[in-house]
Parts: sequence; structure tokens; C-alpha cells
Amino acid sequence: MAVNLIEDTVPVTVLTGYLGAGKTTLLNRILTHEHGKKVAVIVNEFGEVGIDNQLIINADEEIFEMNNGCICCTVRGDLIRIISSLMRRRDKFDHLVIETTGLADPAPVIQTFFMDEAVKSQSFLDAVVTVVDAKHIWQHWEAEEAQEQIAFADVILLNKIDLVDVENVNELEQRIRSMNAMAKIYRTRNAEISMDDLLGVKAFDLQRALEIDPDFLGEDAHQHDETVGSVAIVEPGAVDGQLLNEWLGFLLQTQGADIFRMKGIVNVQGEEHRHVFQGVHMLFDGMSDRRWRKDEVRKNELVFIGRNLDEAQLKGEFRKCLV
Amino acid sequence: MFGLKSNVRQTWKKTWQHQLTEYVTQVVWSLDGEILVACSAAGEIVVQAGDNLALPPVYLAGAGAPIDQLAFSADGQFLASGDQAGQVRVWKRQGQQFVLLMTHDRSGCWIEQLRWHPTEPLLAFNVKHTVEVLEVTTKSLVAKLDFENSSVLCIEWHPTNGMLMAGGYQSIKVWDSYDWQAKPIVISIASASLKIACSPDGKYLASGNLDRSITILEWQDANPHPWMLSGFPGKISHLVWSSVLANTTDPLLASASVEGIVVWERNTVFGWKEQILDNHAQAVEAIAFQPQRRQFASAGSDGAVNIWHDAKTLACTLTDASEAFSCLNWHPWQQSLAAGGSQGEIFVWSQVSNSRGFGKF
Repeated sequence: MAVNLIEDTVPVTVLTGYLGAGKTTLLNRILTHEHGKKVAVIVNEFGEVGIDNQLIINADEEIFEMNNGCICCTVRGDLIRIISSLMRRRDKFDHLVIETTGLADPAPVIQTFFMDEAVKSQSFLDAVVTVVDAKHIWQHWEAEEAQEQIAFADVILLNKIDLVDVENVNELEQRIRSMNAMAKIYRTRNAEISMDDLLGVKAFDLQRALEIDPDFLGEDAHQHDETVGSVAIVEPGAVDGQLLNEWLGFLLQTQGADIFRMKGIVNVQGEEHRHVFQGVHMLFDGMSDRRWRKDEVRKNELVFIGRNLDEAQLKGEFRKCLV
Repeated sequence: MFGLKSNVRQTWKKTWQHQLTEYVTQVVWSLDGEILVACSAAGEIVVQAGDNLALPPVYLAGAGAPIDQLAFSADGQFLASGDQAGQVRVWKRQGQQFVLLMTHDRSGCWIEQLRWHPTEPLLAFNVKHTVEVLEVTTKSLVAKLDFENSSVLCIEWHPTNGMLMAGGYQSIKVWDSYDWQAKPIVISIASASLKIACSPDGKYLASGNLDRSITILEWQDANPHPWMLSGFPGKISHLVWSSVLANTTDPLLASASVEGIVVWERNTVFGWKEQILDNHAQAVEAIAFQPQRRQFASAGSDGAVNIWHDAKTLACTLTDASEAFSCLNWHPWQQSLAAGGSQGEIFVWSQVSNSRGFGKF
């Protein structure tokens, strides 16, 4: 009778992107593609999914803030209500896709999956997928929402590349990479992407290795035109576990509102296991991972994505945690 | 000699079972106990003669949109359902039969909350961010009340004074059914009110909140500060009051949050004294006090229905569901309990009188 929670939890893909970027095209692709998955979809009011399906649910975004004003306690009230109800029919679907409105901040959606124990016990975030209109993104570049959608993403589709020349796409990709050093970037037209690269990504799975784009690490100086950017730290050696904990705690307390996402693998002194962690604003999740392999160089890798991040400060403070 | 444990231990026997095709969302007894109805996430509504379980069940509805709520009117003459296709259906009871009286269409909306007025044929239900009120004998919509802040998450009528309450983001709003046009009273809630429950004597209003707290207000309150109960492991998922019991001044309040249940009893010195009922291994899906008694039952995702003697001590655990239990309800006056499961099963159990010990009924 004890329900197997691992088998019973449903992966969730969050689909973001500006109006007209190609979210609906991608959604229709997911719904019609023969990938062997039964997909339920929660769409926002403006979405026009062209498929008639009883498991396409229209939702109005309802942002619920807690009284304490803490940014990480902001969740989507509509999702809490709808997902709990949808999970009663979980044998009817095995993947859930949530489409957000073009102007949505992805944080409340993500936080709902960390904050609400009912949602958390029945589903897990697979990935945040952001569709970027390669031609028109330049017009919205200054918009906070556009930057946040890129910064929060695990998978980014540079869509409509057929409408711009290659140099333009290269420049765009570089710019996006400087903002988000963790996301996988795919160039697409008509949102054509392999479903394997889209569903079942497990980007929020702590046991999955942190992947920092080597090109990002290879660059000596990163150009930060945007206020939103990534900071990657790769350091050999071992850290003092207590110092690191204290630093991360202080950092999230003081700068959590500006840190959108972070991930890390660290080598804690005296430990045979890797320590892995991730964060979304002030929400933090960490665990002891697999053992370091004998032939493996023990090192620390951390990535921060956020607004107004000070690379020198973060690196300096982290180095103080080294033994 | 019998210890306390054997004194409270009870034996329950399964007396009826039926299979729906999907998750059972509700089981409800009519007030006279003659009829048991249940609905499912596959849109089925099944009616069983409660006084003769040998009779075959009758389907009021077959496959359709998931049905979230079923409710009998106060006089037992009407049965209403609300579903995810946006339909509110009302049947009139004629003996053991039901005749469809009306269908109120709000397609595109999920009707998840249905509450009958405690004496009148008035049915209140949620339609997005509004509460609509139907007078079912005239089939007319008598009120459309805008909650404004968010979707309406819970609805409750006051048992005596005609007030209608709705809870949602940051507040509970209270409308007067004698003057629907009047501005509602607004009770502030720090996060969102997910469940509201009025005590049957009309004295208290309790709100189960998203921020893992319960707010209790006294209706005619000289003290403007509500009680705040906090420290729960998660949001408040269920909240129910007991009947007003003999030899007590106030009814008991039970709350569920994740796998924990707390029964609260008013204590003039300390406010509300808690009794923790700790036996579920996974989320609690339903709780209910037996009418007119302190006996209490809970159903969980762990596949257990627990019966708690005196709302304190575990008296019996029923494990007939193949996976999780999803809902339950007590027979209005017999020692009988109905529950539904996540795999579509419906059960009725009855207590077998104990041959040993002294049961405390």
C-alpha cells in the first residue's frame, strides 16, 4: 500500500518566453509528437493551443505573496490548486508542462515546486525551458522579464534563426551565455527540437552533474552589458564545510533577491563524498552526493546567475572558505 | 483485566464495496442515512441505498468531466454536483430516486466548492473569483459576489445568521444574504485562506491558511484579536468542527497538515489545547468527526483509514484500499463509515460490537 513516491512523482517542464517567441508552436509540437509520453498542459489565458484535449487546462496566473514580503515565499496560487486536483488523475498523464505568460517572472512558478509540500510530494521540476525570438529579442532586451526568463532557464531555444543571419545568432548566443552559463542552448526554427533534449532533462536533480559551458569558463573577461549575468567559480582544493555554510547562508540572506539560481559541487575537507547544492532565490537545497573517484581531481565548481552580481566579491568570499 | 488499549480497540467489518473507474473525490450520506452517493475524477456519480446495501447501485452520471463536489441540501431534498466542465447540476430527490432539476453552465471554470444554505434552498459555489448563489426552487441566480483578490478557494455559510463567507488570497469576505448589495466584511489573512469552517453553534470561524497557520475568530467577539495557531509542517489541508457535545461548552476543531492531525479543544486559560493524532505515514486526505460524538476518522495517502476513539486514541485501522484513500464520511447516526480510494474503490464499514472490554459509545 505504501505508494512508491519516486515512481509516482510527475516531471514538470516550465515553458517561458516572450509573446510571439514560439511557445505555442513548441507546445503544439510536444502535444502532437510521438514521444510515448502522455502530457498534461497548463496554459495561460492567452495561449491558443490548437489541440482538443481534456488534459489542457486554462489557468489565470495568481501570484500569492506571503505577508512577510520574502521574495522566495511568492508562489503561484493557481498552480497549487490545479496541480493537486490534476494529480488525482496521474495515471492519465506522465509529464506536465506549464506555459507561463510572456511577461511572467518564472521564480514564483519554480518556487511553488519547492514551497508547497503537496505539489512537492507528487511532482518535481524537470526543467525551465525558455524560447527566445532570435529576431525580436533585441527589442525587449531591456525588459526585466525577458532577462529573468533567460536567467532562470535550463534549456534555451534560440528560435526563428531562419529570420536572422548567422553573425546575429552568434552574437545573441554569446550574450545569452554571459547571462546564463548553465543552460543548454539550441538553435531552432519553428521550435523544432528533439523531444529528448526537452522532456526528461532532470535539471533540478541534485545528483545530476553541474554543467558549465567550457566556453564560458575559457573566456578571460566576460562582457556584462546586462545587469543580469553569470558568475562561475572553479577552484581546486578543499573547503571548510562550516565556513562555506555560513557564507552561503549570509549570501542568500543579503543577496538572495538578486540571486536567481545557483548550483555547486564542492569538495568538503575530510569528506569522501562530493557535496552538491542548488538554490532559487533564498531557497536552498543541498546533499551529500557520490564518492569522489580515485582518478578524479577534487575541485569546487559553483555557478551563480543573478542581477548585479559582483564577480570579484563572490570569488574572494568563496576563497576565504578554502582550507 | 483489560488495559486502556483493549478498552478502546474496535472491530470494523466491511459491509459494502463498489468500484468506480477513477479516483473517488467524495462520498456523502443523505441526512436520513438512507442514501450514499459518491463521485469520481472520471465524472461518475453513483447512488446506493444506504439502508439496503444489497441493492445494486444506480448511476446518476457516467463518464464526464471530473466531479469535485457533491452536496445534499439541508432538508435533504436536493443533491448538487460541481465539475471541471463548469457545470453545476441539481437533482431533486423523490424517495430513493433523483430527478435532474437544473444545470447551471459556467463552462471553462472548475466548480470546486459547493455549499448549501443551512436552512434555505440556496446553493453557493465558486466561479473563478466570484461566488454565485442559486435559488434552486425558482432556478434563479440571486447573487454574484466578487471576491476580487483571487480565485475563491473556500466557501462556508454561517449556521444561523445567514452570512456567507468566502476565502482566498489575503482575506475572508463575509456577505449578508439578507442584503447581497451591502459591502462584505473583510477579515484579513496574512497569506491565503484555503479552508474555512464555522463551528455548528455559530460561535467560531476557523481559517486554515497557506502559511501553515490557523486563524480562529469568535463571531460575537469582544476581543478583536483572533487566535493564531501555528507550527504546522505544511499548509492546512483540512479543517472540521465536531458537533456541540454534551457536557462541553465548545465543539472540537480538527486540522490536518501533511501527515499530521491536531484536535483542538477550547481551554479558557490557555486558548486552544492541542491533541496530536499521529499515525499516518503520508498526507492526510480527509478527516471527519462522527456526528454527535467525539469519535473521529481520518483517511490517508498511506492507504489507511484510522478511527480515533474520543478523538485521541487509535481504535482501529482499515487498510482495504489498494493504494491511497481519498475521502471519507460518517453515517449520520449508525456506527458506519464510508470511504473512497484513489483507484476508484468505495467501501462501507460497520462496527462489530466488542465482546470484550467496555466500548465507550
